[in-house]
Amino acid sequence: MLASLWQQLSDSPVPIDSVDLAWAGLAPVMILIGGALLILAVDSLVPRRLRPGSYALATVLLAAGAMVAAVPLWQRVQDAERGPFATAAGAIMVDGFSVFATFVILSAVILAALSFDGWLRREEMDGAEPYVLMLLSASGGVMMASANDLIVMFLGLEILSIAVYVLAAMHLRKITSQEAGVKYFVLGAFSSAFFLYGIALIYGGTGSTNLVRIATYLSATVLGDSGLVLAGLALLLVGFGFKVAAAPFHFWAPDVYQGAPTPSVAWMASGVKVAGFAGLLRVFYLAFSTYRLDWQPVIFVLAVLTMLVGSVLAVVQTDVKRMLAYSSINHAGFILVAVQAATAAGVQAALFYLAAYTFMVAGSFGVIAVVSRKGDIGTSLDDYRGLSRDRPVVAFAFALLLLAQAGVPLTSGFFAKFYVITAAIEAGSSTLAIIAMITAVISSYVYLRIIVAMYGAGDDVPAPRTIPLPAAAGLALVISLTVTMSVGVFPGTLASLAERATPVLIPESDPGAVDPSGVPPGP
Amino acid sequence: MVAQNVFFYLLAGIILFSAFRVVTSNNVVHAALYLVAVLAAVAAEYVLLAAEFVAATQVLVYIGAIIVLFLFGIMLTRAKLGSDQDLTHPHWALSAATAVVMFGVMGYALVDQFHWTATPLPADTRLVSVDGSNSATVSDSVFTAYLVPFEVVSVLLLAALVGAIVLARKD
Amino acid sequence: MLDLVWLVPALPLAGFLILVVLGRRMGEPGAGWLATAMCGGAFVASAIVMAGLIGEQGENRRHLLTLFEWMKVGGFRVEVGFLADPLSITMALFITGIGTLIHLYSISYMHGDPKFSKFFIYMNLFVFSMLMLVLGSNMLVTFLGWEGVGACSYLLIAFWFSKDANASAGKKAFVTNRIGDWGFMCAMFLTFATVGSLDYSVVLEQAPLIAPATATAIALLLFLGACGKSAQLPLFVWLPDAMAGPTPVSALIHAATMVTAGVYLMTRVSPILTQSYDWAPSIIAWVGVITALFAATIALAQTDIKKVLAYSTVSQLGFMFLAIGSGAYVAAIFHMITHAFFKALLFLGAGSVIHGMHDEQDMRRMGNLKKYMPITAATFIVGWLAIAGVPPFAGFWSKDEILLSAYEKNPALWFVGLVTALLTAFYMSRQVFMVFFGEERWRDADHPDAPEPHESPWKMTLPLVVLAGLATMAGILNLPFGNRTHFLERWLEPVVGESEHTVTAAASAQIGLAALAVAGSLVGIAVAYRIYYQRKMEPVEPAIMAQGWKYDTSIAAFMGGPGREAFEATATFDGTVIDGAVNGVATLVRGSGVHLRKVQNGFVRTYALGVAVGVVALLAYFLSRVTF
Repeated sequence: MLASLWQQLSDSPVPIDSVDLAWAGLAPVMILIGGALLILAVDSLVPRRLRPGSYALATVLLAAGAMVAAVPLWQRVQDAERGPFATAAGAIMVDGFSVFATFVILSAVILAALSFDGWLRREEMDGAEPYVLMLLSASGGVMMASANDLIVMFLGLEILSIAVYVLAAMHLRKITSQEAGVKYFVLGAFSSAFFLYGIALIYGGTGSTNLVRIATYLSATVLGDSGLVLAGLALLLVGFGFKVAAAPFHFWAPDVYQGAPTPSVAWMASGVKVAGFAGLLRVFYLAFSTYRLDWQPVIFVLAVLTMLVGSVLAVVQTDVKRMLAYSSINHAGFILVAVQAATAAGVQAALFYLAAYTFMVAGSFGVIAVVSRKGDIGTSLDDYRGLSRDRPVVAFAFALLLLAQAGVPLTSGFFAKFYVITAAIEAGSSTLAIIAMITAVISSYVYLRIIVAMYGAGDDVPAPRTIPLPAAAGLALVISLTVTMSVGVFPGTLASLAERATPVLIPESDPGAVDPSGVPPGP
Repeated sequence: MVAQNVFFYLLAGIILFSAFRVVTSNNVVHAALYLVAVLAAVAAEYVLLAAEFVAATQVLVYIGAIIVLFLFGIMLTRAKLGSDQDLTHPHWALSAATAVVMFGVMGYALVDQFHWTATPLPADTRLVSVDGSNSATVSDSVFTAYLVPFEVVSVLLLAALVGAIVLARKD
Repeated sequence: MLDLVWLVPALPLAGFLILVVLGRRMGEPGAGWLATAMCGGAFVASAIVMAGLIGEQGENRRHLLTLFEWMKVGGFRVEVGFLADPLSITMALFITGIGTLIHLYSISYMHGDPKFSKFFIYMNLFVFSMLMLVLGSNMLVTFLGWEGVGACSYLLIAFWFSKDANASAGKKAFVTNRIGDWGFMCAMFLTFATVGSLDYSVVLEQAPLIAPATATAIALLLFLGACGKSAQLPLFVWLPDAMAGPTPVSALIHAATMVTAGVYLMTRVSPILTQSYDWAPSIIAWVGVITALFAATIALAQTDIKKVLAYSTVSQLGFMFLAIGSGAYVAAIFHMITHAFFKALLFLGAGSVIHGMHDEQDMRRMGNLKKYMPITAATFIVGWLAIAGVPPFAGFWSKDEILLSAYEKNPALWFVGLVTALLTAFYMSRQVFMVFFGEERWRDADHPDAPEPHESPWKMTLPLVVLAGLATMAGILNLPFGNRTHFLERWLEPVVGESEHTVTAAASAQIGLAALAVAGSLVGIAVAYRIYYQRKMEPVEPAIMAQGWKYDTSIAAFMGGPGREAFEATATFDGTVIDGAVNGVATLVRGSGVHLRKVQNGFVRTYALGVAVGVVALLAYFLSRVTF
């Protein structure tokens, strides 16, 4: 009987068309995932014998390695003859956009890892898990940026999110951290469900989850005749809106930012947001460009709400982490302004903003991580009084980063806002541009409050205290400051990189793929 | 087809009744058990639609995993298992309105797409494959078109696993 | 020769960089001398470029030097370059000239200060930024300079931050200037959207093609920017507070140069102003003249020697905007130059007094200082006569030209201007009589052994003497005796010629107006003489004027609620509500924020409901887009 079974198996091998994988295109993701596994394995094999800081070092090296692996990809997609390509049966797209976003996400990993090192030691926590989670989370982010299929997009989003939920709840001795994690998780799952539902509806409406096919199908049919597609679009927007903390899906952000460990917040505010916007641009700007007139007004409203909430509510906060949480909501609104333009200039402005913003915000939260005290407390505005005396260099760097967030010239923040507003005006959205600038003025008051607290003199300055500055955190600060200031003086390099980082839609190059969605949708 | 229709409406009735009891029951455990009924009946509807793979997944994932998780959660966090009057939260009316409106717009979207016309079950041989089931098709596409997503799911599980360990271990 | 224009900003920049690296090592007075030399070098370079320009004629009297392409993205291209034309070089010349004198003066004034070299770092950075502002070949470079001078201004206001609680002063300056910058940025975007370029050469050439509505919008937005930087109503509140900084800073930044940036900007874009609706220049003229009057009334009752000069600066800047609104750009620049001379002189003189009086700023405790500080007194008197508009000192000529153009624009403007001129003569005479004449009042019950005042060293008095000479002679730049003596007007013709208002009044009418102006000044001086010198009349110094018409505090009262009645007393000032944007915006925003914050109650279910409501709204919207 066994023999006959064997006979049967070897006689009729089930034919499967294998998928061509361009491994080079997947290299950054593979390095991140493989590195995470490696760290995990090493951590379990050599318990507590490694020098402190070696995990942070490993994470930085892995992220840098992934960057190195992405350099040939950039050269390839910029090459006129070879150009961008799709791989893995059209599920993954490697183009200028995805590689650019990969670089930004990896920079955020490096900055957050450097910030984590000293923080974990101060909180007397050890282990490799935070780094592993961050690497996994980053792999999800890179997947989102290069997803060419809504399923891949969703999985990337989930990998990114689940790791971040845990990073938020990681401080086990701090109840607000636990609370932040649970809140983020519950609401995140809620919005993920909507996202998934949206994918299902779009599949129902277009017959595919592949962005290229969706775009092809939509351009061949009459605009706006499909309620399913439009409903799906609305639900996808909910999922992305939640991840980038756009109003009215922003409620979690202040609570979570305040409670979560500060280095986790650095990652949340930079890497997660970059990935969310990369996904948003890919889906809306590329795949649903034919529905542009339908989604542009929605993004318009979201952008206005987000910027207003982010700037107005930031003013009433007394906790620096909460202030920056709202300010990051305001930044998200600014990037939505660029998305709303739905032009090449808009995409470029959004990418520039994301890159500049990543360094500003990761650096700022890095400073908060340094200034706070054991137990991750001491983040209220009063704790910043007299910082210019206790740690003049840190205070100065923080002031510069805050000024950059306010969009003061000669910092990268100025040009980020400049490009966004130029793109909006070119696209005919002057109203949005003006609202954006008003909110920028309002939120500049918030940054000023922090700076005044740091530099203010008077009776309410507390007694001097020593604030240890771990070397790794200092390095992160130097990196973010250098990038922020040098981009502020010479924005041309980054701007031209962002200009060449165009997202494209190309059908998959491997012909062997099976089309899983052969059935066209209903009438 | 008549038998199919009869069973459809029977199941639909069970779903509606149970779903209503989920939100009105005063006992959390009862609510969870009503949810089991909803999910099981939905699985049965999938069988009626010849989507036995989805039906099996529904039973495995929702009833087998999620509801069990719910019950564990209830047992671990709440000492009191009897009826409980303050389960309804103050904004229930707004939530209900939101749900009704959502039902309306989603229903509208479906009607707009399919216009009350009956869509025949797929005749495509690749969906209802050689041996009469669509599981084979699903498995084929998992190893071809959806190879990367399938592999990526394992990364997702890994992240969840590591996260669970981080949160669960004693400090 | 014209290509040397890059040297003008490069020298202060070099000075800044050298001082950043070596400043502390060079110490006192080396750092000061280096900074002074760099500023002086820039002056020489400007003079060389000016000589080059004089050699050219008409349309050729401009030179564009492009240094490098700064950024190029799509259709958007910005180059860093310098535009050398009569306007920018005139500005550069007097910025570097006065800058050099003030640097020299500061070497003594800052003597013994622990942050001596840091002060000169900021000063050189300021001069560099200011030169970028005026020489920049496009709006973006100007804007960078604009922000740069703003930043230096905060740094220098806060320079002695142990001395005063001036976080508030810096904060006020920051917020008002952000509002102004917002206007500038909006104007910049609008210009780019309309013309497709930010280069002055392109923008101004195409200005006649811009639709009047757009041109009006650009002009008024730029004017908002100018109001912030040049301290006009309703954004002037920061300037008097800015006097907390060291006196040379007040002289250089808050009197002679930075605050005139708005005037420069409006002159630079004069073709756009010409293209806009007629009411736009009228608004500028009225804002200017009302600011002038308003600030002059406040200056009447100040007791701080520097506060008088601060409000006087606001008032004189109002005169310049009156000139711009009347289309008299040359007169605006002319007054800017003469004002720079005599106001720098007055500030430095005040600094010398403060120095000699051992850091006393209250005029009620001075008197008869002419005996102890003869040079300071003599030069201060020259400045006084110049600002009061007594011929033949410089202020007379420039103020006369402004009043003449204002008369032709609208006699009401002229009348308000004349009253302001009278008040100016009055409060300046009051200051001179209180400080340099009368009895010695520095020893009183509270200060029984106050030291005797002394004259300042030569490094402080030399600039005073030079400036006094300039304040006397600068009228020669633009004498109203026929076209031949209008040197400045002919020189600036290539820049503002097409927009400049031509005087049509007959010579006799001109002489009549001038005579009235002189009479007004003399009346002001005479009244002050009787009150403060002969003491034959009781001084009228209403408390409300001393408090700046409660302009500042009324806002807080309005926003705060309890002081509402105080607000209602002064509510007639239409600027009040707008100034809410200065101190009140935070309070206002705070108010609405508190209400919104209730939603942020920390309950996951509330947040989830918020998300769900958002979902339904999005769905409903998208489905409404379905076409049938």
